[in-house]
Amino acid sequence: MNFVLIFLITIFSLSLFFYGRSKTKSIAIEKNIKLNALPKFYGYYLVLWCSIPSLVFLLIWSLFEPVIIKSIIIETAANQGAIFNDKNEANLIYEKIKAIHLGTYFGDIDSILRESALAYAKFINLFTNSKVVLIFAIVIVSVIYSLKKINKNNKARDDVEIILKGLLFVSSLIAILTTLGIIFSLLFESIKFFSVINIFDYLFGTNWSPQRAFVRDASSITAAEFEELKDAFGFIPLIAGTTFIAFIAMLVAVPIGLFSGIYMAEYASLKIRRISKPIIEILAGIPTVVYGFFAALTVGPFFRQIGENFGLTVSSESALAAGLIMGIMIIPYVSSLSDDVINSVPQSLRDGSYAIGATKSETIKKVVIPAALPGIIGSILLAVSRAIGETMIVVMAAGLAANLTINPLESTTTITTQIVMILVGDQEFDSPKTQSAFALGLTLFIATLILNYIAQRAVKKYREKYD
Amino acid sequence: MNNVKIKSKNLNVYYGEKQALFDVNLDLNEKEVTALIGPSGCGKSTFIRCINRMNDVIDICKVSGNIEIDGVEINDKNLDVVSLRERVGMVFQKPNPFPKSIYDNISYGPKIHGKGETKSELDEIVENSLKKAALWEEVKDRLDEPGTGLSGGQQQRLCIARAISVNPEVILMDEPCSALDPIATAKIEELIDELKKTYTIVIVTHSMAQAVRVSQKTGFFHLGKLIEVGKTEKIFKNPDNKMTQDYITGRFG
Repeated sequence: MNFVLIFLITIFSLSLFFYGRSKTKSIAIEKNIKLNALPKFYGYYLVLWCSIPSLVFLLIWSLFEPVIIKSIIIETAANQGAIFNDKNEANLIYEKIKAIHLGTYFGDIDSILRESALAYAKFINLFTNSKVVLIFAIVIVSVIYSLKKINKNNKARDDVEIILKGLLFVSSLIAILTTLGIIFSLLFESIKFFSVINIFDYLFGTNWSPQRAFVRDASSITAAEFEELKDAFGFIPLIAGTTFIAFIAMLVAVPIGLFSGIYMAEYASLKIRRISKPIIEILAGIPTVVYGFFAALTVGPFFRQIGENFGLTVSSESALAAGLIMGIMIIPYVSSLSDDVINSVPQSLRDGSYAIGATKSETIKKVVIPAALPGIIGSILLAVSRAIGETMIVVMAAGLAANLTINPLESTTTITTQIVMILVGDQEFDSPKTQSAFALGLTLFIATLILNYIAQRAVKKYREKYD
Repeated sequence: MNNVKIKSKNLNVYYGEKQALFDVNLDLNEKEVTALIGPSGCGKSTFIRCINRMNDVIDICKVSGNIEIDGVEINDKNLDVVSLRERVGMVFQKPNPFPKSIYDNISYGPKIHGKGETKSELDEIVENSLKKAALWEEVKDRLDEPGTGLSGGQQQRLCIARAISVNPEVILMDEPCSALDPIATAKIEELIDELKKTYTIVIVTHSMAQAVRVSQKTGFFHLGKLIEVGKTEKIFKNPDNKMTQDYITGRFG
C-alpha cells in the first residue's frame, strides 16, 4: 500500500513540474508581466510542495500506526477477558492475533482471540483508509496552496532555495542525531556496567574472564558472586594486546607505507605512478575477512613451522601473524596519505634546496619530509586508529585468550575481538558480561576519537602553513 | 670592462616539443649586474636556469648548445651539478625559505657542502651571510625562530643570505622583487649594488626602472630569442633594434 502511495505521489509531483513550468510561461504572456524566477523554478516549487508534506506525513503515520494499533488491540483483548501478567505475555497475544489475521496461526483459536482478530482487521482497514484519504487531502491542499502562490508570481527561486536548505539541514540533523544516539546508548549501557563493576577494577584489572558472569542478571548478583566477579573484568590485558598488535602492525606499515609514499611522490615517473598507485590502493579494497583467513590459515601456520625449525614454541594464533597482516592491510593508508602530503609540499622549497646544491635524497630528507612531517604524523595516527579498531583479522588470527604478554609468538587478544566474543551467540542482555561489551566499545570509541582528533589537528596545522 | 665570466653559445632549450630558447649567444661579465628583460614567457628565466642546470629538475626539458663558466663547459653530462650549484647560487621569484629556523635556513647549504664543521665556524658563516644580506641587525636576536615567520622582504633577503652562505661566484635572481612592496624592493636593490662587488649577478626583471637602477648590462629577450644586448645605458637610451625600443617604451609586452 505504502509503495503504491509513494509511487503515485512521485508520478503526480513530477508531472506537476511540467505543468508548473508551462503554466507560468502562459501566465507571463497573458498578463504581460516579468516572472520573478525562471519558469523551471515554478516547476520545482510545485514538485516540492506536492511531495514533501505528503511523504513526511506518510513516514510519520507509518512510524506510529503499528504502535497505536497494538495498544488498541491489547486493550480490546483485555476487555474481551484475555489475561496477561506482564508486557511479554501481552506481546505474545498481540503476535497471535496478528498471525490469525494473516492466516498463519495454527494453534487453537478461542473466542477471545477470534473477536480480537476481527477487531484487528477492522482497525487495520480503518487506518489504511484514513491514511489514503488524509494523504490525498494533504496533496490537494498543498498543491492548491502552491498553485495560488504561483499565480501571484511569487519569488519561486528563493522559495525553492529555502526548501532545499531545509531538506539539507534535516539530512545533516539525522546524521548528527544518529551519532549522538549511538554514543548515548554506549554511555548508558556502560553506566549500567560500571554500577556493578567498579570503574577502577575495570580500568586497572589485569585479568579478563567475562565468561564467569555468564547468564547472571545484574540485579540478582549476590555479595559472594560479586566478590568473584570483581576481578573478572580487567581491561589491562585487552588494551595491552590491542596496543601490542597495533604496534607490530605499525612496525610493518609505517616504514613500507612511508617509503612507498616517498617513492611515489618524488621518484616515480608519471607512468609508474599511474600504474602502481591504483595497485597499492587495491590493498585497501580487499575485505578484511580475506586478510583474516590469510593470516589464520597461511601466515600463522607458516610462522609456527619456522619457529619449530628453530626450536621455538609458536602458537598458531599469534600476535605476530595478526600484526603483520594488519600492517600489510594498513600500508595503502599510510602510503597514499603521505604521498598526498608530500605532493603538496610546494615545488619552490625543493627548487631552493636543489639550487644550493643539495641532491635529491638530501632535499627529501632535510626539506621535504620536515615540511610534510605534521601531515605524515597525521596519516600515521589515522592508521593507528584504524589498526586499533580493526576486528576481523584479530578475531581470526590473534586468538581469544586474554594473555598479558609481550611475546609476539604467543596468542593474545584485543578489545574488538572480545566485543565480538561477548556478543555472538545467546546472551542475557542485562548480565554484566553483555554490558561489558558496551564499556569496551565506549573505551575504544574514546581512544580512537582522541587519536583522530590529534591526527586531524596535525594535518590541519600543516595545511594552514601552505595554502 | 670586466672579464667575461659566463659565455653561452648557440644555446637551445626545448620543453617537450616546444622550443623555448633559440640560439642564444650571451656573455655575462664578472662582478657586474646583468639584467634580462622581456615580456612574460620570452625565455629569460629559462636562460638563467640553464646557468645552474636547474632545468635538470624538469623531466621534459632538453638543453643543447654550450654554456661556459670561466671557460669550462657546464652543459656536460659528467659535470658535477652539486659543485656547479655551489658556485652558482639562485634566488627565486617567490621567497622560499625552508620551514626551519632562520639559523638552519642559512646553515643548510654549508652543511651540505661540508663547510663549517664546528659550531663556531657555522655560527660565523651564518652571521657573515646574514650581514652580507643586510638582515643581521633585524634577526640576530631570533635566529631560532622560523624563517617563514619573517616579512616578505626579509624572507627574500634570507633567501639571498642562504645563496651567499656557500660562497658562490655567481648569483642568479629570478624576478626577486616581484612579490615585494616598494620599500622591500629598494632594500634588495641596494643590496644587489653592494653584492656586485663580490659576485657576478644575473637578474631577471619585469621592471625597466629596476633594470636601469641595478644593472650595467641589459639583454632583451623576445619569443625565446635574444634580440639585443648591450650596456644598460645604451639599451635604454638608444637601442639598435626597433623591437627593443618598442618594449622599453611600453608599446608592447
